[in-house]
Amino acid sequence: MIDLVLLGDVLAGTARLGTPIAFAAVGGVIAERGGLYNIGLEGQILVGALGAAAGSFATGSALIGLGCGIICGLISGLLLGYMSIRLRINQLVGGIALNLLLAGLTAFLSRQIFGAQAGGARVNGFSQIDIPFLSDLPVVGPSLFSQDPLFYLLIGLAIAAWFWLMKSHKGLDLRAVGENPKAADLAGVPVFRMQYLAIAVSGVLAALAGVHLVLSQVYVFAEGMSAGKGFIALAAIILGRWSPIGAICAALFFGFCDAVQFKLQFTSPEIPYQLFLILPYLASLIALVVLGAKASAPASVGLPYDREHR
Amino acid sequence: MQLKSKLLAGFAALMLAGPAAAEGIERAAIVMPGSISDNGWNQAGFEGLTKAGEALGFEAAFSESVHQPEQIEVLSDYARRGYDLVIGHGGEFQDAVERVAARFPETMFMVNNGLGTKDNIANADFYFSQIAYLMGYVAGSMSDTGTIGIIAAQQFKFTTDTVAGYEAGAKAANPEVRVLVTWTGDWDDIAKGKEAALNQISQGADVVWPTMDSATLGSMQAVQEKGVYGIGIYRDAINEWPKILQSAILDVRGNMRSYLELAAAGKLEGALYRADMGNELAMRIGSFHPDIPVGVVDEVNKLIDAMKSGTLVVHPQ
Repeated sequence: MIDLVLLGDVLAGTARLGTPIAFAAVGGVIAERGGLYNIGLEGQILVGALGAAAGSFATGSALIGLGCGIICGLISGLLLGYMSIRLRINQLVGGIALNLLLAGLTAFLSRQIFGAQAGGARVNGFSQIDIPFLSDLPVVGPSLFSQDPLFYLLIGLAIAAWFWLMKSHKGLDLRAVGENPKAADLAGVPVFRMQYLAIAVSGVLAALAGVHLVLSQVYVFAEGMSAGKGFIALAAIILGRWSPIGAICAALFFGFCDAVQFKLQFTSPEIPYQLFLILPYLASLIALVVLGAKASAPASVGLPYDREHR
Repeated sequence: MQLKSKLLAGFAALMLAGPAAAEGIERAAIVMPGSISDNGWNQAGFEGLTKAGEALGFEAAFSESVHQPEQIEVLSDYARRGYDLVIGHGGEFQDAVERVAARFPETMFMVNNGLGTKDNIANADFYFSQIAYLMGYVAGSMSDTGTIGIIAAQQFKFTTDTVAGYEAGAKAANPEVRVLVTWTGDWDDIAKGKEAALNQISQGADVVWPTMDSATLGSMQAVQEKGVYGIGIYRDAINEWPKILQSAILDVRGNMRSYLELAAAGKLEGALYRADMGNELAMRIGSFHPDIPVGVVDEVNKLIDAMKSGTLVVHPQ
C-alpha cells in the first residue's frame, strides 16, 4: 500500500527541487531552438539569485527582487548573445567563460552588498499561495496547489512558450533559424534579431531559476548556490527533446528522483546512500540512451551564422 | 640580476635561519586549496596563520587556490626557500606533503585534518565525536517526539565520527531516541539542504543538525519555517537563527593557534595534535537556547567536565 502522506511529501519535494531546473531548461530550449547553445545557464542562475537577493535586500520588496533578477538575467543573456552572434566565438567556450565570470562576480558582489553578513542576510520573499478548493484536495492539494507564485508562473510560461514556439509565426521563424539560418535569412527572417531575442529570453528564464531559489526557497544568497542545476538543466533539454513542455517534464523527473532518494534513505537505511544519490543521473543516462537514437536537436545549433559565408 | 640577488638573500636567510630553527620558527607558510576570502575553511587557515605570525613574531606566507597537480611544486618551493614550517591546509595535501617531506627532512610539515604523521609531518584535527556527543545529548533531551535528525554531505572521518557521536549522545539522554541520518552528497546545494531537513521534519524529527557548508542555510530555513529546533556548527549560530539549541564550534583558527604557539616555542613534533573539549581555543560549545531547562544545561556542563577529566571517553576517538 502506498502511504498517501509520503506520496504528498514526494510530490511537494518534486515541485520544489524541479522548479529551478525547469526554468533553466526552458531557457536552454529556447536558445537552442534559435541555434545557440546556452552553456551559461549555471552562471545565469547565480546572477539571477544575486539580483533577486540584492533587490529584495535593498528595498524589502520581493517583487523588486524579482525585477532585479530578471534584469540581471537579461544582461547576462545579451552578453552571451553578443559573444555568440556578433563575435561568433565558440559557443561552448563563451558559455563556460560566462559561468566562470559570473561565479566569481556574484561571489565578489555578494560580499560588497551583504558585507560580513554574507550568507546570513535574510531577505523578504514570496509566500505560498493556496489556490481555493484545489489546495483542499487530498495528497495533491497541499503539495501542488499551495506552492509559491513562481511555480504557477512556471506552468503558465511553459504553456506560453510551447504555444509561441510551436504554434505562432514568430516561433516558426525562430525554429527555422535554429534549423537553417541561411534559408531563414533568404526567406526574410531577421536571423540576428531572432537570435538575440532567444538568448535574452533564455537568460531571463535561467535567472528566474535563481530567483526561485532565493525568493521562494531559502531567502538568502550564498556563493555557488546554483550547485550544478544549470548543468542538470542541459541534460533536461536533451531528455525533453528540445520541447519546452518536454524539458519541464524532464526537470520535474530529476526533481522527483531527488525527492524520492531522500525518502528512500529513511525507509531503506541499509542500502548505501550513494546509490540513491546517483539515481537521478542513472535514470537520465538510461533515458538518454533509450531515447538518444531518435535525437532531434536543431540542425544548426552551435554553428555561428555568417551572412558572408557560403 | 635582481633574481640572483633575491636568491642570494634567500640563501643568506637560510644560513641564518638554520641554527635559529631549533629555538622555534622564523618563517611559516600555508598552502590552501581555495580562496582566502571564502568565509570558511580557507579564510580560517589564512587568518589562523597570519594573525598567529603577528602575535608570535614569525613571518607568514601563503599560497591560495593550489590544486592537486601544483601541490608538490608549491610545497617544495617553500621548503627550498628555507621556511621552517610548511602547512598543507586540508587532508588532500597528505600525499603531496609526504613526498615533499621525505626530500626536506630539516623542514617541519603540518597537515590540517591530516591522515598520518612522520618525524617531520605533524597533523592537527578535532575530536569530532566528542562535541557531537554533546550536541546529541542536547537534542535528545529537548526532543518531544523522540526523533532527531542529522544531515551530512559525504561520508568520511569527520562526518561519520560526528554522526556516531551525535547518536551516542542522544541515546545517553534518551535511550529510546530515534536518530535520522540523511546524506545529501553536496556541501553547497541549498535547495537539497532544505529538502533533506523538510524530509526529516515530516518523519517526526523536531531537532535537526545540518553539518554541511552553504547547504546548511537551506536546512536552517526549513527548521525556521516548520518551527522545530536546529543545532549550529562552526560558529555560534543562535546569533543568526533564533531557533538554535546549541552550536558545535570547531575553530580552525584556534586550533592552528594552539600548535603555532608550540611551533614558536620550538616544541612542535611529528605528532597528531587533536583539539578536544580541553582546548577551548579550538573546540567549544556555543550559547544555550533559553528554552533549555537549567537541569539540562547542568548535565551538559557535567559531561564537559567528565570529558576534560577523561572519565567520559566518546568513540570513535
